[in-house]
Amino acid sequence: MSEDRPNENRPGLEPGTLVFGIGNSGRSDDGLGWAFLDRIQKETALGGQLEYRYQLQVEDAALISGVDRVIFIDSYRGDLPNGFQWTPCEPMKEFAFTTHVLPPGAVLSLCRDLYGKSPRANTLMVQGVCWDLQIGMSPEAERHLENALQFFRSYWQGES
Amino acid sequence: MNETTRKIIIDPVTRVEGHGRVTVQLDEQGKVGNARFHIVEFRGFERFIQGHPYWEASLLVQRLCGICPVSHHLAAAKAIDQIYGVDPENLHPTATKIRRLLHYAQVFQSHALHFFYLASPDLLFGLDAPVEKRSVGAVALEHEELARKGIQMRQFGQELIKALAGKKIHGICAIPGGVHKTFYPEERDYFLAQNGKPSVDTMIEWSREVIDFMKAYHEQHFKWLDSFASYPSGHLGLVTDDGTLELYDGRMRAIDSSGEITLNDVHSNDYLKYFGEGVEKWSYMKFPFLRHLDRNTGWNRVGPLARMNVSDRISTPLADAEMSEFKAYTNGRPNNHTMHSHWARLIEILHCAELIKDLLNDPEILNEVDRAKVNRRPEGIGIIEAPRGTLIHHYQVDEKGMITKCNLIVSTTHNNEAMNRAVQWVAQNVLDQQKEISEGMLNQVEVAIRAFDPCLSCATHAMGQMPLMLTVLDANGKVVAEHVKGSS
Repeated sequence: MSEDRPNENRPGLEPGTLVFGIGNSGRSDDGLGWAFLDRIQKETALGGQLEYRYQLQVEDAALISGVDRVIFIDSYRGDLPNGFQWTPCEPMKEFAFTTHVLPPGAVLSLCRDLYGKSPRANTLMVQGVCWDLQIGMSPEAERHLENALQFFRSYWQGES
Repeated sequence: MNETTRKIIIDPVTRVEGHGRVTVQLDEQGKVGNARFHIVEFRGFERFIQGHPYWEASLLVQRLCGICPVSHHLAAAKAIDQIYGVDPENLHPTATKIRRLLHYAQVFQSHALHFFYLASPDLLFGLDAPVEKRSVGAVALEHEELARKGIQMRQFGQELIKALAGKKIHGICAIPGGVHKTFYPEERDYFLAQNGKPSVDTMIEWSREVIDFMKAYHEQHFKWLDSFASYPSGHLGLVTDDGTLELYDGRMRAIDSSGEITLNDVHSNDYLKYFGEGVEKWSYMKFPFLRHLDRNTGWNRVGPLARMNVSDRISTPLADAEMSEFKAYTNGRPNNHTMHSHWARLIEILHCAELIKDLLNDPEILNEVDRAKVNRRPEGIGIIEAPRGTLIHHYQVDEKGMITKCNLIVSTTHNNEAMNRAVQWVAQNVLDQQKEISEGMLNQVEVAIRAFDPCLSCATHAMGQMPLMLTVLDANGKVVAEHVKGSS
């Protein structure tokens, strides 16, 4: 797994779509965001510009300013119906930033304030249960990942 | 909450790397006694790296940190080179240049992150600014151009790291006795050419602009910049044989607060002769000091301010001119003004931009690297100047090349005593005998710590969450003040 693996524009998603997978595959289910991108990399019907991140960075505001659509995929600690949740994402009114946490809404807020751009944005949270220092996800997380992928495929077919 | 029971908590402290805790002890009259900066997380890297083959060290230890992994990678690589049988002066010249280029990119991007993302709100909005203004988000709203340039400067450094190490975070550049890959002309040209994005010349230009901003700011606000958390200290850093500031490989020099030499350009391999590490039961972070002095007088600041103080000159012309101006402000005497660390940091940003340009234009950097032949030794020591200061990596291996001992003294650990003194200063000058503790007062504790750009994750080699809290205790050790600042 690598945060900086080569990015490519995939067929299926419109060219102006950017998909962030956020997490760390070295901490079990925290790798859900990256695993999601790994899976859609292999599917020709899905894709877009894919970016792997341990966490979002301030510089990502500049990246986002160049696209029409952005999707943030991250693991979630807590219960979600069917193990995932798809929600619209808006710029945060109260900006929050540490070098260890930068929420998607904060990046959108920076993008709007610095570059005058507000791309349409969604978050896809996938429920994890195990956060230990280990490679490989829990069976529950794998199941939630499948559910989320299934939803995403259907959603995207409806969009395109 | 009653009148006699207040507890002050900063949770988490904002705009430093990692987390910690501050306690302020009051005496019976309510005056400030001890004020301490605690690091209360377990330290594990030195232990769990034991038993791993020596060549893994530079890959593993960079996981200490997501901000300065390159620094740990290179300090470890220098130590591992020695175990492999290669001293710095015998490393292939191109390998040295590629490593230096990586190092300068790291210092450049780390300093940019600290100044623009973490520290600039303190300067732009003031100590008493409302909480919502103390972030890069507010800088983006009110100082768009500065924020955009800050982002592009960090991006430039990060992209250069990626070109050399394959990844912006936790990449691989150095291998024992060499480097992982050749630097190609098209990679080099990307950073030299403008082509719709900023080039290295733009980086130099913007670095000069931000120094001008800092100097103008200082002219307007010198009263607090010259006095806030200002106290005498020793200073430590690497220099070349002729006393020039050195970031990658040099001799260790320390001076006391009056400028007298306390460590006279000693070789890296001799560090153990000169450095001891004190411990306190209230912190996992050690307290390094010079053995021939003592714990109370032998401690030193490290980082940009210390480097300006211990060095006689800078090797690049524009930064050297800025250093001369910086030194002239204190008439050539050591500068002990903590807030001048920001000014010093910006001079180093310019220095790194100049060094990067020089190396990009050096044809030798594109050469193939012949890796040295192995000639194993049982021990290796690597010391570099990381963005936050002097960084020491020391490894011993058995006959099979497995690591048996590891000692890391990171920059923030060197600054441990200095940061405690800074917290003490704020406690005595700002919090003393105050009935109410305002947000602005709390922020001043953070401002003092933040000036050191501490990396607490590195200093403790910790994993996981460790929020910084500020607690005020009475003479009996009872919590007498409580205040929650922000939330995670």
